[in-house]
Amino acid sequence: MEKNGKGVSMPKSSLKSTPSKDDSSQKSKEGRKVQFNNGGSPEERFDYSKSNGKSSSSADKGGNGSTANGKASKSKEKEPLELRLDQDRLKNAKCLMDSEAAEILQGIQDQMTLLSQDATIKLPVSFHKGLSYAQANARYTNTHSVRRVLDTLKKHGVVDGEISVIANACPETAEEVFALVPSLKSKKSILKEPLEVALMVIKPLRKVDSTSV
Amino acid sequence: MFFHIVLERNMQLHPRYFGRNLRDNLVSKLMKDVEGTCSGKHGFVVAITGIENVGKGLIRDGTGFVTFPVKYQCVVFRPFKGEILEAVVTMVNKMGFFAEAGPVQIFVSNHLISDDMEFQSGDMPNYTTFDGSIKIQKDSEVRLKIIGTRVDATEIFCIGTIKDDFLGVINDPTA
Repeated sequence: MEKNGKGVSMPKSSLKSTPSKDDSSQKSKEGRKVQFNNGGSPEERFDYSKSNGKSSSSADKGGNGSTANGKASKSKEKEPLELRLDQDRLKNAKCLMDSEAAEILQGIQDQMTLLSQDATIKLPVSFHKGLSYAQANARYTNTHSVRRVLDTLKKHGVVDGEISVIANACPETAEEVFALVPSLKSKKSILKEPLEVALMVIKPLRKVDSTSV
Repeated sequence: MFFHIVLERNMQLHPRYFGRNLRDNLVSKLMKDVEGTCSGKHGFVVAITGIENVGKGLIRDGTGFVTFPVKYQCVVFRPFKGEILEAVVTMVNKMGFFAEAGPVQIFVSNHLISDDMEFQSGDMPNYTTFDGSIKIQKDSEVRLKIIGTRVDATEIFCIGTIKDDFLGVINDPTA
């Protein structure tokens, strides 16, 4: 972990609470938050701060800690919406379900075997990793039907990114969807029924996996 | 998550590649330069799926190189905060465990692992529940949530958690 080895600093007071796993009741009371600074700032470090995202705690060390904590409360609000906010950054980007990505990448790999006469064109390592990941998570026998069913949720205000997360997660119930995609919680009353219907429709389209729990 | 996106890049081509196969040379150079790279904004460029448009070339002053603006479609993989992913555990230690989802590495700190799981060292280090019913070890499949991302020059590194509802082990290789 050289990348994060630069500065792993822990405020002295929080060291008292960390030693053993027996302090589980204390842990749940404090609600510690591990924060990971986004954006690659030169001083990246894990800040173990007693914060529920609402207020800064006295355990901070110096200015960096307090700004980080200020960020923590903001990022906690931002976090559920991150999927939505980042959609603006990637305009013209189409979110792909893992099944769709697997089909596309498999097609490319099949093409590459034809083009393999040019020895200098090689598929990068990330391609093979991406392909095996997509194939492992491609859970549906008919991707187009799943896409059509889940796209009906768009009229209730569900964005592309959220639809892809729902498809990739293969949830059993609407409750699971709201737990996994917190940004939909605000529309729970509107979405619950259409979600249940959509999940019921796509359930038979799942590939039967003998190794799943 | 995978995205299908249109990107643009200025490709510089040496005059030796001009001629009948100019476009093919441009496309192969694009593939060599771009596939497998990673950027903060778009994530990993996993594969180029097609060329949308090749603009007019501009000869650079002082050299014979020509710059072509190329618009291409590609599949990218970019993890987002709040995203739910299924990853395969690659390494377990007392600080937590590392998992891989496609080209992305994710670290789950022991503080973001359920309190009822404890680290067990040994030949096959793992995290096990007190009753021994659930184990996280190398090659286990876990469902986790991304809570932070960092982009390096060549890769994206994420922090994840399995402490929320509906997260945790999916598949135990020893079962």
